[in-house]
Amino acid sequence: MIEFEGVRYVYPNGVEALKGVSLRIGEGELVALVGPNGAGKTTLIKHMNGLLKPTEGRVRVFGIDTRKASVAELSRRVGIVFQNSDRQLFSETVEEEIRFGLENFGFSKEEASERVEEMLERFGLEPYRNTSPFSLSGGEKKRLCIALVLAWDPDVLVLDEPTVGQDWANKEKIRGLIESLLKEGKSVVVSSHDLEFVWSLKPRVLVMSDGRVVMDGRAEEVLSRDGIEEFRLLRPRLLELYMRLKKKPRRPFFEVRELEEWVKVEVGG
Amino acid sequence: MIRDVAFGFVYTKKDSPVHGLDARIKLVLSAYLIALSLMAGDPFGLLLSAAWIASVVLLGRVGRRMGKNLIYATLFSVVIFAVDLLSGYGLVDAAIYAARFEVIVASASTFFLITSPDEFEYVMRWLRLPRDLIFSFVASVRFVPVLMLDAIQITDSQKSRGLELEKGNPVKRLRSFIPILIPLVIDAVMRSNSLAEAMEVRAYGATDRPTSLYELEMTRSDWIALTLSTIAFSVSIIFIL
Repeated sequence: MIEFEGVRYVYPNGVEALKGVSLRIGEGELVALVGPNGAGKTTLIKHMNGLLKPTEGRVRVFGIDTRKASVAELSRRVGIVFQNSDRQLFSETVEEEIRFGLENFGFSKEEASERVEEMLERFGLEPYRNTSPFSLSGGEKKRLCIALVLAWDPDVLVLDEPTVGQDWANKEKIRGLIESLLKEGKSVVVSSHDLEFVWSLKPRVLVMSDGRVVMDGRAEEVLSRDGIEEFRLLRPRLLELYMRLKKKPRRPFFEVRELEEWVKVEVGG
Repeated sequence: MIRDVAFGFVYTKKDSPVHGLDARIKLVLSAYLIALSLMAGDPFGLLLSAAWIASVVLLGRVGRRMGKNLIYATLFSVVIFAVDLLSGYGLVDAAIYAARFEVIVASASTFFLITSPDEFEYVMRWLRLPRDLIFSFVASVRFVPVLMLDAIQITDSQKSRGLELEKGNPVKRLRSFIPILIPLVIDAVMRSNSLAEAMEVRAYGATDRPTSLYELEMTRSDWIALTLSTIAFSVSIIFIL
């Protein structure tokens, strides 16, 4: 679905941000991109809808070479939600903000209205329909930014640092949304420094460092490896606890609820 | 195009005899260049000004950056030449006006290419200009690259929402910049507000006479540069007049 083949990317100022990345993201897959600042995560993401074209190598999105397609064509299939909400909003009302992308992609008036209604309801933004997007809270703005991308129903949703500046309740809402998108068969890519959040999603984890993918595998397998600190990653607490237990359950705890259940069985009561 | 023109006015640190001069000498040198280009009214004067600028540019090794800038300035020079001709000026006069514009752009560009925003600040302080004015000026100069980066990020976001800047008639193309300009302006206002608050919590304005870590100091090479440039400027003025 999204394939990177030996992708190298050099910015105009000479910085080599990707140094031969090869990977494949399949249908219905949940992938978390982790790694230190400057590892190349955002550069990688920008290749997924053609905002950046590889200096060397090839990126194919649903079989289309990104060098031969416009950003708009690719964005129709791969929707990216960028980190800073304020840099995406400009309309007078929440409703118009959602409608903007739909108009750009040529949806009919009726279909656009239907989708706007669906998004307002799904993301709890109905009361703010005629409100300025700039007067929303941080959590509401984030929900709006996700809604305005999901409105055109892309096959892949890419979230760049979705939990930055979000409180616990909002993080839970984002987590719930990702889980529901996966149930709908969509693929989700999450770039994040928030390993506790990433862990709770049980994703496939790609660790990036210095423009390369240095680790790739299931979260429990990658994050339990020795030496992840080298990539400035702090192991999630539930995994750390699991690894320190002498008598371990069959698989690590992804949620506190699972830990609670295990304690009840082992200790009793 | 905008990037090339902008880079023709953006300082980059270099190890050159011109870059190492005291900021006040750079200001004097630049004032001489601008004065000469404004006073030059005939081919000889313009050539003299151009030679002056070329020597500073060569010593400062900023020719490449200025070159791109001048290519775009030439486009405007051609327009000036054509308008002057149509307005009834002679061929020589029209050429002189067009060349003068080019020389003025080059002298202004030289000043910005060899003088950093920090140096502006030191000189303005030395000139005892009001502190708020100095700070506003320096902050706005420093904001330019930050805003350029913001503009790139906003453009990426909006292109990802299907916005196509290169499609449609000129009116449609202009309108498609609205989704970029509005977040950019709002972001800039928010950023300046945060900066104002950050300055306040660091006691900006608490005293009328704040101390300074850096003091301007003239070295031997600064005095030599000042003397030589003043002599050369005076001689050039005599020739031009």
